[in-house]
Amino acid sequence: MRSLIRFLPIALLLGAGSAWGAKVTLSPDNWGDPAGEECVSCHAKSSAGITKQWKDSAHAEAGVNCMDCHRAQADDPDAITHEGATIATVVSPKDCGRCHTVEEEEQRGSVHAEAVSVIAERMPAMVNNVAGAAIEAAGCAQCHGSTVKLKADGELDASTWPNSGIGRINPDGSRGSCSSCHGRHRFSKAQARAPAACVRCHSGPDSPDKEVFEASKHGMAFVAGRDDMNLDSEHWIAGKDYDAAPTCATCHMGAAGKLPATHDVGMRNAWNLNTPVSERQHLIVFGDGGKRELPESIKAPGRGSKMPKLDGSEGEVKMVATPQRRRQAMTLVCRECHGKNFAEAFMQQFDDVVELYNDKFGKPAQAIMRELYSQKKLTATPFDEPIEFTYWELWHDEGARARHGAAMASPNHAWWEGMYVVGRNFYARFLPQVREVAGESADELIARHLDDATGHEWLKAPNQRSPILGVGNAQVGNE
Amino acid sequence: MSKRRFTLLPEFVTRHVLFAMAFGGVAGIGFMVFLIEFDHHTSTESFCTTCHSMEISAEAYRESSHYQPESGVRASCGDCHVSPGVFAATWDHFIGSKDLFNQIFGPDYDDPVINALHLPEAAFSAREWFRKNDSRTCRRCHAQEAIVGKRADTLAIHQEETDGKTCVDCHINLVHRKVPEQATFKREAWNRMIEKEFGLEPGKADELLAE
Repeated sequence: MRSLIRFLPIALLLGAGSAWGAKVTLSPDNWGDPAGEECVSCHAKSSAGITKQWKDSAHAEAGVNCMDCHRAQADDPDAITHEGATIATVVSPKDCGRCHTVEEEEQRGSVHAEAVSVIAERMPAMVNNVAGAAIEAAGCAQCHGSTVKLKADGELDASTWPNSGIGRINPDGSRGSCSSCHGRHRFSKAQARAPAACVRCHSGPDSPDKEVFEASKHGMAFVAGRDDMNLDSEHWIAGKDYDAAPTCATCHMGAAGKLPATHDVGMRNAWNLNTPVSERQHLIVFGDGGKRELPESIKAPGRGSKMPKLDGSEGEVKMVATPQRRRQAMTLVCRECHGKNFAEAFMQQFDDVVELYNDKFGKPAQAIMRELYSQKKLTATPFDEPIEFTYWELWHDEGARARHGAAMASPNHAWWEGMYVVGRNFYARFLPQVREVAGESADELIARHLDDATGHEWLKAPNQRSPILGVGNAQVGNE
Repeated sequence: MSKRRFTLLPEFVTRHVLFAMAFGGVAGIGFMVFLIEFDHHTSTESFCTTCHSMEISAEAYRESSHYQPESGVRASCGDCHVSPGVFAATWDHFIGSKDLFNQIFGPDYDDPVINALHLPEAAFSAREWFRKNDSRTCRRCHAQEAIVGKRADTLAIHQEETDGKTCVDCHINLVHRKVPEQATFKREAWNRMIEKEFGLEPGKADELLAE
């Protein structure tokens, strides 16, 4: 039974303490830099578009001008002199956090802010082997973030800028890019609440969340009810300020009932879904606001204990959100529209798909690959053998699609775009390639791993009949 | 009877004086012609680049829009770096002779590494010169009221947003290698960049500068 007492730590953890995201508490004396007013007159002419966007923004209304965000100290690594003013082109979460303290703190250490480090181990294989350096700036880094550098000649390094990747490593050392979702210079709340805010990165073969959402009942309801979504509302509490549909922001960040809004977008995710094998994850929150995930199979550290942070330094554990609590937080959002049984049963369907993927495909494929590497049947170099592409796509593309499809209720992505392709890949590409690579020991190797897994028994029944493939008694028509 | 043949002239204008005046006049004209020619020739790219160090600066210039503009109106070294008017031009050359002194007795600017390490200070001082004289060499060709540009509001910006500003306040790094403004210049980063560019050991640039 989930009691209120168990819920309380979530509220504390998710913690803005307000149900709709934080108000700026700083005194207005802190903005409205007079030097910034001079910028506007010229920029209305030299870059009319962004100036108009700013003029229409809540920032302009509150008197926040160019210099409030772009001001810099001369010795900042990315400071430049522009028309006599010392400014920085890149506005980092640290800059935004001068006023938006709560949001900055929440996004710090989130899966978004750490989007560069989460792919650090994959990058060399992708950038050096499969593609080339040019793809890093135009591809990877546009979602995950670049490490922005100002060259000594005063120009931003074109291999790192322009960039609004969500985990961008900024010259001031901060991580993240608020403009990734709140497009500059309008910084619209409505824009960030709409599903389109996430599309640039959450689409395509490996994380087709745009497609999944659009193909789900939630997506259909959003299109039909967009006019009633109240996207511009100051507070945006699901079930109170809107009820037409949830968007990405609703479930992953939004306020719902007593659940406060958060800018830690991964907080409510119980599983990691973009891994060869999914595992439920603890969320460790450190004293300095840093965070990391820890697989459920590893015992969660106690409060006050020390453990390494993602960057290798030691951190003091302030709080641990177990996967169950993270799930509970997510479910609270569902409950604004759905009954308890409905929400929990939906989660059960989702979990079952993840476990099916794990047990039937993810785990045996991972074990077989490990064995091929340890037996030196494959070179250690990634992607120099066809089976490496096959395995990579099995979990990273179709495997992720199936899991995301189930997580967000798109039957098409759970099955045809997802688990069906996983199965096709596994049986028709992966296993034949294992046979090629492993040679004589292949049958034994495959049998051993498939026997350990579940769901492959059917391979031992060669006489099953299938009208759909033309074997057995096909029925004519639909009678 | 007087020996004077030109009675219309005052008495003190003797023949010697006349000769002196004629000679002086011709010499004066000759001197002015010399100055004009001198200023002209010492303002050309071919003269400036007789020093190898200037050839290094000219490489970037030859890639710039001031060397190869669509209009075909080429600005050469002196068009930007020597003031208009013979007296001002001569003065600039006089002052500029310190560059010759430094070329001979100063650091080895002909060495591309030394040249690049010292470039920022040269850029700062050139910009200061433009600022002090209200970018007058820019204005030799560019009339501020006629800068229409290709973007929608270029004319309006140059009419309405330029109070208290001179060309070089906004337009730097047009011709030569890019250097940040002095206020935000970072010597440390510059040295590391030059070391990387020329394949030098870290710290070598600081040594070279200290020499």
